[in-house]
Amino acid sequence: MLLEVENVTAGYGAGPNILDGVSLRIEQGKSYCIIGPNGAGKSTLLRTICGLLRPRSGRIIFKGEVLNNLRPDQILRKGICFVPQDRSLFPEMSVKENLLMAGYTLTNKQDLEQRIQTVFEIFPVLKERQSQLAQTLSGGEQQMLAMARALILKPDVIMLDEPSLGLAPLVAIQVFESIKKLKELGMTILLVEQNARKGLECADWGYVLDLGKNRFEGPAHSLLHDPQIEELYLGKRRGTRPQGKTRTLEQGVDGS
Amino acid sequence: MPENPSRDEIVKARKEVYLGSVVAPRVESRKLFLFSLLCALALFPLLQVASGRFNYWLHMLLFTFLNVTMAASWNIIGGYAGYISLGHNVFSGIGGYVAGALLIFYGLSPFLTAPLAGVVACLFGLLFGLITLRTRGSAFIIATIALVLLTKLGLDNWELLGGTNGVSLPLLPLPARFVKLPFYYGMLLTAVGAVYLSYRIRHSKFGLGLRAIAQDETKAEVAGIPTSLYKILAFAISGFFPGMAGALWAYYLTYLRPTIYFAILGAAEIVLMVLLGGRGTVAGPVLGAVLLVAMNEFFVARFGSTELNIAGTGLLMLIILIFFPEGIVGTLRDRKKLPRLLDWG
Amino acid sequence: MIQLVQVFLLGLTLGGVYALMASGLTLIFGVMRIVNIAHGAFILFAAYLAYWGFKLYQIDPMFSLLFTMPVMFLLGMGIYRLLFPRIAGSRRFTSMTVLLTFSLALIMEGVMGFLYSGIYRSANPPYTTRALLFGPFYLPLAQLYATLLSLVLLGLLFLFLRFTRTGRAIRATMQNRTAAQIVGVNVEQISTLAFGIGTALAGASGSMVSFLFTFFPAKHWQWIGTLLALIVLGGMGSLPGSVVGSFLLAVIAAYLGYFYGPTWSPITFYLALFLILLIRPEGLLGKKLEA
Repeated sequence: MLLEVENVTAGYGAGPNILDGVSLRIEQGKSYCIIGPNGAGKSTLLRTICGLLRPRSGRIIFKGEVLNNLRPDQILRKGICFVPQDRSLFPEMSVKENLLMAGYTLTNKQDLEQRIQTVFEIFPVLKERQSQLAQTLSGGEQQMLAMARALILKPDVIMLDEPSLGLAPLVAIQVFESIKKLKELGMTILLVEQNARKGLECADWGYVLDLGKNRFEGPAHSLLHDPQIEELYLGKRRGTRPQGKTRTLEQGVDGS
Repeated sequence: MPENPSRDEIVKARKEVYLGSVVAPRVESRKLFLFSLLCALALFPLLQVASGRFNYWLHMLLFTFLNVTMAASWNIIGGYAGYISLGHNVFSGIGGYVAGALLIFYGLSPFLTAPLAGVVACLFGLLFGLITLRTRGSAFIIATIALVLLTKLGLDNWELLGGTNGVSLPLLPLPARFVKLPFYYGMLLTAVGAVYLSYRIRHSKFGLGLRAIAQDETKAEVAGIPTSLYKILAFAISGFFPGMAGALWAYYLTYLRPTIYFAILGAAEIVLMVLLGGRGTVAGPVLGAVLLVAMNEFFVARFGSTELNIAGTGLLMLIILIFFPEGIVGTLRDRKKLPRLLDWG
Repeated sequence: MIQLVQVFLLGLTLGGVYALMASGLTLIFGVMRIVNIAHGAFILFAAYLAYWGFKLYQIDPMFSLLFTMPVMFLLGMGIYRLLFPRIAGSRRFTSMTVLLTFSLALIMEGVMGFLYSGIYRSANPPYTTRALLFGPFYLPLAQLYATLLSLVLLGLLFLFLRFTRTGRAIRATMQNRTAAQIVGVNVEQISTLAFGIGTALAGASGSMVSFLFTFFPAKHWQWIGTLLALIVLGGMGSLPGSVVGSFLLAVIAAYLGYFYGPTWSPITFYLALFLILLIRPEGLLGKKLEA
């Protein structure tokens, strides 16, 4: 087991628990997708794993080591990278400088330069734009830069928080293509996605989170076809919806 | 069919949830306490009239009233709305100069013109608020510091009103035994007015809006509170009583001079009083003002050094900020140990 | 006409010093969102250090930055570690920092007043009375040296921020604190360092100020008023903005002083502050003021 989240609770400031006992089991080389409605605690879970938020109880174990009280930079060095929802780029730095910052924890300059070249191979568009300021990139390019930044460190786990958020449908498809590419490269991926169907299509295993608790889990393709999950969390797929469901069930449902 | 609860029952249930463990305070004993306190303060000058040996105490009380006025008014913008003003003494300065100028040039008594001085201070606050409170956050605080420095610079160079040296005002033509009495009552009235105003605002919709701004300005705005307007109004209103008090204070001191009003230390002490007593509470500023005046008097009498006084003010402020950011009243309330007599709502 | 150019030159040669004074404040605000009201007091403290170094050991105040900078660097980091982690989680963090540094300024003013009394002081190395003459113009050597030295220091700061790994981490933290954490910057460590660098710059400014101006313990309020105007004008937290603002206001202040008498020249800074808040709250080159 590469990464294990055991019964974790967490919340902001003095506020209530957003995560109310969540568990995950992440294996090497597989990809996982966490889906669930707004406010389910999906982003909070990722923030807790990477150390931006401290768990209130429970344990986060990575390669047999408890991460609970480590700072984000320490967790990063262990091999967990996080790409947050807002991309969190450095807007007034060039693409190249953003990538240099990504290698902040590396000390060997030549090695870093090589890694940047490798990442440019995966995202050729970034190479073209390397001297441009990050704030001038398009949404899709910014997302690619954010992912590229995580890849620089060759992490054991890469966590992506809603990579398709705010992107035009065609651009979103490109982003999902790159996620699949990462998967083919053998990366362990933990993906949170509002676009649940697309997210599950990229994943081996799916988790459904609701109100800060685990609800369902299973192989991604079987979740995709589970009528109950489909009804609650996936929304209607054009033309394939089983007969006899009432429309009211769609209320509060996220997804495509 | 189940019986629906009546509206009142729902409201009652909600109040229980939202107000939680707040026990309805015994209003009667508190009212009695405040009433007798006011009576005692109103009757105190009789001792002076009778014996003539209480001038020092009259002075101390008067000075306390001035500070209560300043602190309670500061609390409206700094406590309720969370926008810290580091230049609130400018309001009393404006009041003082307006009333002083009217006295010098037109012979109008500051006792008559004090409300006018308050209004002018208000208008000034409105103008300043319009400039600085349309934006959020730290720009306002910075601007208030600049305001103190700017007004001092302006008056230092305004020869008509004496510049740096100031100008002296005529004395109130009363024998020494009675001369402090009108000021005493005037200042007491101002202080009571300021505290009452801050109480009324705290319990109004306007006050609720201000407190929402202090909590989270974005959410307050989304909830439909006209945040800029509220902030500007709060700042202007918080200038009225300081303006009045400033008018009386100048006449009481019998001179106008920029250093009385436009010293950073003065502004700092106002903030300190409210922090000490408890930001955003009604009783806090009053308590803080009383304690700080007493403490200052003690330390100045003991050590006499103004430099150490400055350092002491800073140190006390630092300690309160780090260890008791809620002040005395706030901390006691959080621990549910607030005496009823200090729970003024 | 010659007079007007002369005034312009005089303003310009003060601009560099203002820029140096403002740079530390800007850095501290940019990285940590701390409005350091005590910055003027830090400068003043360093000015006293330089002054006593000159009086007691005849150290040229220009070279005194060799000790004012390290002393202030350490002092700054110590103060940061002591005070700021305690209020890290508080609501309205920036307002809280204003109050905290405001009280710090009062403490420092009181202690300096106690130690050095209210006497007006100024170090007077030989060059403070000389001037560089060229054609019809003159430049007081003290101002010229101070501004050149300030520009050198600002240049070094720029190179450090631009081309070193730590410098890049500081800029990254200024631009996006969360993102900096995500890429593995220990932001607390970087913040401590940045605060130290900010106060070290205050130290260097103190060395300059010690022979440029007369000073006394309460003088720092006037400086902080000026500096706050400069960083608001520059757009809070933008270093290039505050440098441009410094030169601009220094020149305007020089003209105001020339036309209306020197007592009025500080008014430039306060009026500029209100004007900027009125028309362009985000500053000359800056981003929005949020905190």
